[in-house]
Amino acid sequence: MNAPAPKRLWQRFTRTRVGRSIFRVGLPESNLERSQAMVSSFLLHVQPAKVHRHALRASYSLGLGLISLYLFCILCGTGVLLMFYYVPSTDKAYDIMKDLQFVVSAGLVIRNMHRWAAHLMVLFVMLHMCRVFYTGAYKNPREFNWVLGVGLLLVTLGLSFTGYLLPWDQLAFWAITVGTSIAGYAPVVGEKLKYLMLGGHIVGQDSLTRFYALHVIVLPAIAVLMISVHLFRVRKDGGLSRPDEPGDVVEQIPLGQLPANKSYGLMELARGTTPQVGKNPEDEVFSWPHLVFRELLLFLLVTAVVLFLAIFWNAPLEEIANAVHPPNPAKAPWYFLGLQELVSYSAFWGGVVVPGLLVTALALLPYIDRKRHGVGRWFARERVVANTIFSVCVAIAVIFTVIGSLFRGPNWSWVEPWKNPPAVTEGH
Amino acid sequence: MTDFSLAKYYAWFTALGLLVGGLVIAGYYRDDYREWKDYQRKYIKEEIHRAPTPQAKMLAERIPVEIRQAVLPDLHRVDRCTTCHLTVEDPSYGGYPQPLSYHPLHEQHPFERFGCTICHRGQGRATTAVDAHGSVPHWDEPMLPMQYIQASCGQCHEAADNPAAPELAQGEQVFENSGCRGCHKLGGTGGIIGPELDKVGARRSPEWLKKHFIAPASATPGSIMPPQKLSETNLEAIVLFMLSQTGESASGYYSSMKVLPNTREGLHLFRSRGCYGCHSVNGQGGKVGPPLDDVGLRRAPEWMIQHFRDPQSVTPGSVMPKFGFTESEARALTDFLIHMREQAVALSLPSLMSPVERGKEVFRKYGCAGCHGPDAKGGIPNPNSKTAEQVPGLLHVADGYTVVQLKARINLGQHEIPALDPKRPPPPLYMPAWSGTIKDAEVDDLVSYLISLKPKGEDVGF
Repeated sequence: MNAPAPKRLWQRFTRTRVGRSIFRVGLPESNLERSQAMVSSFLLHVQPAKVHRHALRASYSLGLGLISLYLFCILCGTGVLLMFYYVPSTDKAYDIMKDLQFVVSAGLVIRNMHRWAAHLMVLFVMLHMCRVFYTGAYKNPREFNWVLGVGLLLVTLGLSFTGYLLPWDQLAFWAITVGTSIAGYAPVVGEKLKYLMLGGHIVGQDSLTRFYALHVIVLPAIAVLMISVHLFRVRKDGGLSRPDEPGDVVEQIPLGQLPANKSYGLMELARGTTPQVGKNPEDEVFSWPHLVFRELLLFLLVTAVVLFLAIFWNAPLEEIANAVHPPNPAKAPWYFLGLQELVSYSAFWGGVVVPGLLVTALALLPYIDRKRHGVGRWFARERVVANTIFSVCVAIAVIFTVIGSLFRGPNWSWVEPWKNPPAVTEGH
Repeated sequence: MTDFSLAKYYAWFTALGLLVGGLVIAGYYRDDYREWKDYQRKYIKEEIHRAPTPQAKMLAERIPVEIRQAVLPDLHRVDRCTTCHLTVEDPSYGGYPQPLSYHPLHEQHPFERFGCTICHRGQGRATTAVDAHGSVPHWDEPMLPMQYIQASCGQCHEAADNPAAPELAQGEQVFENSGCRGCHKLGGTGGIIGPELDKVGARRSPEWLKKHFIAPASATPGSIMPPQKLSETNLEAIVLFMLSQTGESASGYYSSMKVLPNTREGLHLFRSRGCYGCHSVNGQGGKVGPPLDDVGLRRAPEWMIQHFRDPQSVTPGSVMPKFGFTESEARALTDFLIHMREQAVALSLPSLMSPVERGKEVFRKYGCAGCHGPDAKGGIPNPNSKTAEQVPGLLHVADGYTVVQLKARINLGQHEIPALDPKRPPPPLYMPAWSGTIKDAEVDDLVSYLISLKPKGEDVGF
């Protein structure tokens, strides 16, 4: 046996009484053991024992969903560490940011990791959605998982937005002031909604308490639940989407239509797209090691990138929040700057109609675009109309966000970022 | 795809594992390296070097490398300055280069009670020199240049009370005599034409303030404030006084220590707390309590302090109420009573002054001089006003106004100042309505003063 030393050590450990009691199968050597390892381990059984080759193709999925999941995990870990210090009080929050920076061991690095991972998560959730659209992966039978995904995008934005306030600096205070006032433009319920979010008419202690509770309990709990269902459905809907192949037409008997005058085994109950029957075993590989190892490698890569960012770039922290000194311009977090730019033209259209229509259209998309063709391929020719419409929407969103982020100066006037900003005069 | 061999996976695991491991180590070093540790090691080395005996050497070697801080909840501060400036309280380090230097004259303000930033400003929580000294983005309070350090005394103490801060007292004099209050409110008194100045010292830098006094419109575009012609020392003094107005609110122990125990402050308390309502000095004052002229000869200082704390405890049956003086106030009053005789103090009670004298005080108190000039002689420019493009002096108001008219004029003000040339912008300065700000009785006194200004022996007779 010429396996590497760590592997030999591990094998010896899993053969001991204690090792066997924990890992049950040990490091798999044969194909049988590989399958057994997958189904007998709690952490691995979420995934199938064998997986289609197509699902492993990095150029297809780009790993975007998995990256989002890993970022979420990093956020949970660093978030709990930050909670050991943070107090959601307008008197203390800002001082605690300073203490994290200056005296808490690794405080700054952990805050940086949390901040950059949060921005990255918003970005990667959006990219993941684009990938799913461009590969037509939201089509039957994955319609509902797309809807869950849209929900997760909103939860992600909510998590990022509620976390934005917590440092209680000028950036936080005014971004939340601007962000919630966009919500205030909604007809009839707008003002009430804003009041409900802030616990008052302006950002204050009650807002901080609310945002904190939402950020550390409510939204993470919803996110964990929805991510679980999202992953469950990925598997139940037949794994990652892929092009239809001859010979893998799945017997599709809707769940409620089994004849009731006989008894069934569990395998027979699990209908729909789930059972891997009728598929060509030649197209499948064992999840251990090909899926599991790739996933672990991707986790290492994501961790490395977040660590790298956190070591070399500090999370922003401006002056302590001051309700009477608004910065000019006061800007929302970057992912809402497209909206803020729209709002600068028309509060009602930009703040209510456009975002409302966008979210509705996204949620209803799989029920509108029902033709099952072009699934599982990037930019399929059959889907050129849908892809064009989507691309135009994405381009407009990107353009507005870039304008709002970089090209807007004092009083929301047009500035060119490569020129020096005009001097802001201080009035009495 | 399946050709991806195990060896290839292991290679990737090794590479990425090393990358993550390397980054964790890099992160650890970045976090672990703090410049204050260098300063502390240098200090410990110096202590070991100086140790006279092996035993002292051993003690020096055991000095821990750790954050040192003064936690001051009543001052809303945590000051970590002594993490680097370790020897501020050790006189043997006098003359050492920073950060290991000695801070003289700190007996009255021990560091563990006051910290450092309450006087020096800067960022107390920070532990790097650049951040702590505060000239960094997103920090509003850089360290106060030492030439203005007396401004910090004025955050707690009355400007004129502190013999150790003469420039602050001078600044206050310049402020009151230049009539700044005519337009600006400070401590609740003053006009409404300009902004309130209560926290101006926390908002503005010395450079900004200086520029602003010399040419207001250059610091604040569109400002209508007339440029101030001040001597260099008076300019520095008023900048310093402005810097003292930070709105710092200290509670508990600090507010009880605000009053400096000296004669001047004692006199101030004696007048402001109404002692003369019952007691007399030099024949001025009430008759209910005993005269206090020679109380300093009759009573020991300890007796007096106890008497201020609780009159009945040393004079059973005394009708004098407990005033709740703080310790420092009691000491200040005692000091005043002891030294009163030798200093031949005149109480100068307002009730004993003539209306004209009181009116002159009113003129000064509300900053009328800011527009009408020192001693009401005029000369302050007000471009495009019909009165020779100046705010008129008031020496001859007695000729143009009756007492009733003058009172009405002060109370109601005049918002529209007639313009010389209607095409040019209207004159910026105007007379605000003072009713509600200047009390009725004060207006009476002020009118008496203004009428009295008419030069004697001059009777023009229009």
